[in-house]
Amino acid sequence: MNDIILNLKKEILRGEATKIKELVKKAIDQGLAPLEILEKALRPAMEEVGKKFEDLEIFLPDMMKAAEAMTAGTETLRPYLGPGNADIKKGLILLGTVEGDVHEIGKNIVRVMLEGVGFKVIDLGYNVPVLTFVEKVKELNPDILGMSALMTTTMVHMPRVIKELQDRDLKKKVKIIVGGAPVLPDWAEKIGADGYGENAGEAVNLVRRLVK
Amino acid sequence: MIRFWDVLERAENGKILAEKDWDRMIGEVAAQVVSDYDIKYDPEDPVPTDDSLADRLFEAGVELFEKTGIYCIDTGKVLKFTKDEIMEALEGAPERAVYGSGNDVVEMPHREVEDPRDPVVNFSAVGTPVTEELFVPICQSYAQEPIADTFSGPLITTYRGMPVTSGSPVEMEAGIWNVIKLREAARLAGRPTIPIHNFMSIAERTDATIAAARPELGALAGDGLFVAAIAELKVDYERLKKVSFLINSPYVIGGLYGPLMGGYGGGPAATAALLVAHHILGVISFRAQRHNAFPIHIHNICNTSRDMIWLISITGQALARNTHLVTVANAFMASGPCTETIIWELAAHSVAATVSGWHLNPCAVAKNRHPLHCSGMEPRMHAEVGHVTARGGTTRKEAGRIVKALLERYEKHISNPPIGKSFTECYDPVSIKPKDEYILLWEDSKKSLEDLGLKFKLL
Repeated sequence: MNDIILNLKKEILRGEATKIKELVKKAIDQGLAPLEILEKALRPAMEEVGKKFEDLEIFLPDMMKAAEAMTAGTETLRPYLGPGNADIKKGLILLGTVEGDVHEIGKNIVRVMLEGVGFKVIDLGYNVPVLTFVEKVKELNPDILGMSALMTTTMVHMPRVIKELQDRDLKKKVKIIVGGAPVLPDWAEKIGADGYGENAGEAVNLVRRLVK
Repeated sequence: MIRFWDVLERAENGKILAEKDWDRMIGEVAAQVVSDYDIKYDPEDPVPTDDSLADRLFEAGVELFEKTGIYCIDTGKVLKFTKDEIMEALEGAPERAVYGSGNDVVEMPHREVEDPRDPVVNFSAVGTPVTEELFVPICQSYAQEPIADTFSGPLITTYRGMPVTSGSPVEMEAGIWNVIKLREAARLAGRPTIPIHNFMSIAERTDATIAAARPELGALAGDGLFVAAIAELKVDYERLKKVSFLINSPYVIGGLYGPLMGGYGGGPAATAALLVAHHILGVISFRAQRHNAFPIHIHNICNTSRDMIWLISITGQALARNTHLVTVANAFMASGPCTETIIWELAAHSVAATVSGWHLNPCAVAKNRHPLHCSGMEPRMHAEVGHVTARGGTTRKEAGRIVKALLERYEKHISNPPIGKSFTECYDPVSIKPKDEYILLWEDSKKSLEDLGLKFKLL
């Protein structure tokens, strides 16, 4: 049993989606509980991937492959989970880079890391208009809305989004986090965000705290 | 020879590719070429002396660009170029950039590895946010430095109480104000026609840039503008519109490339290949006359960590040895003004860049994000180190020894650096002179740098 857990972890780290699918099926056949596979192999492996990326022992392409392997693993597990455990995601996160800004690498890293540790992420992409954020919050009812910006001329759209959410009485229904190169914690607080992440690792920890 | 029309035509008619597939492909191709050409980062050798490694990196960068091309995010299409087209474009690229006019002409020639000629130094507050009130004094602190060959400014985030928002009329008004105030700072510095190498730092959009690009406002013929690529190897129509304007203007075109080390490209070796490829993007699609590189560490948001110094050094050497491009290294510091660590960071970057064939563009400070944390002192120190490095005939081997000694002093602080002091804490805001504390810190540090082998008497 330990061997297969170790192998699952190893293949997540190597980003081998096909092998992960095979190993998950094998683990089920050997009698491992689906939640055990998730909690003892797949999620800890992705935690390790995130840590290795923070230490730059691996780079973004490696982390993306690992996240895809993780997704393959959870999708393979899904049919074996009982009705009460059908939704294996920890929470719904809506992400986007604000209007006028085409820089999204930082936001993409946050997305990959959040998906890796079990959150469902809907990524609106970059250059997202203010009212699109608002409409999507209303439509999808996410736990968290995360906005990023790389430029001072675009980060000013973040308070606009927050104001539009307030005006529609939606602000209290969602926690808002912000990040990106020019964003500082005191500014995040000033505009009424619920949290700020200096980097992707901090963003993940922040989301964990806020979703609880 | 590839013309700008060919670039526009290929942006419209290239192969369609989803952007996420492009991002993935960049990492795969970069990994392949660094493996094929045996490019390896060696932390023990931050200023490599292996000419063959530099030449292989150049070949790897050319092959990477040939395999990937450029991605246009407005059309979702890939602009591809053959190896012949790439080499012909490099051959035909300018080997010098000339700023200014009259008594203020600044020539930036191609530099070689271990070139004893002074690097040209473009003083710049890069992207530091400042207030309207302190914009001119801060710019003056840069322009007044005698060692500054050209200068440019920081940015403001609000104008007349309104946020400077991309695409808004306020952005356009702030952009015009930007040019007026830069030239005002030059006059107050006693250098009314000093070239401004990038006269638009506040506005992002092309329409705001064009609105401000008028000599009566202060943007003189022979000043310059930067056009920035989007990481990695991407352009959009906003940027190509700026190129279209610039090639019909009297302004020097600067390409600006900031691949993220640890991002889509991968590690130091792959990002170095990507940086070479970005220069080809700049030659072909931006018609750039000079090329600014600001590769950034994805977590530390600076380029003075050991791996980044290696990346800058080897990429500079690759370009210096295999092209005649005018290349300029943008210095991004982790630490803030008036700290000991920033001096070691500045010195390490300057020494490594100068011996590797770059001109200098100092500098972003305190991770380029803390308001008012910048001053003319930081580029002064960077420039002085660069000049004595070149004039002393410093070799890469000597530079490597100096850089390693400096890294020992600051690299442990890079992930949590001191943000230092703000402009008004470092400078007298009326006389625009650095305070004694900062001057003394620099004088003391110079003694220590002299012990490492830098001869400041050459200044």
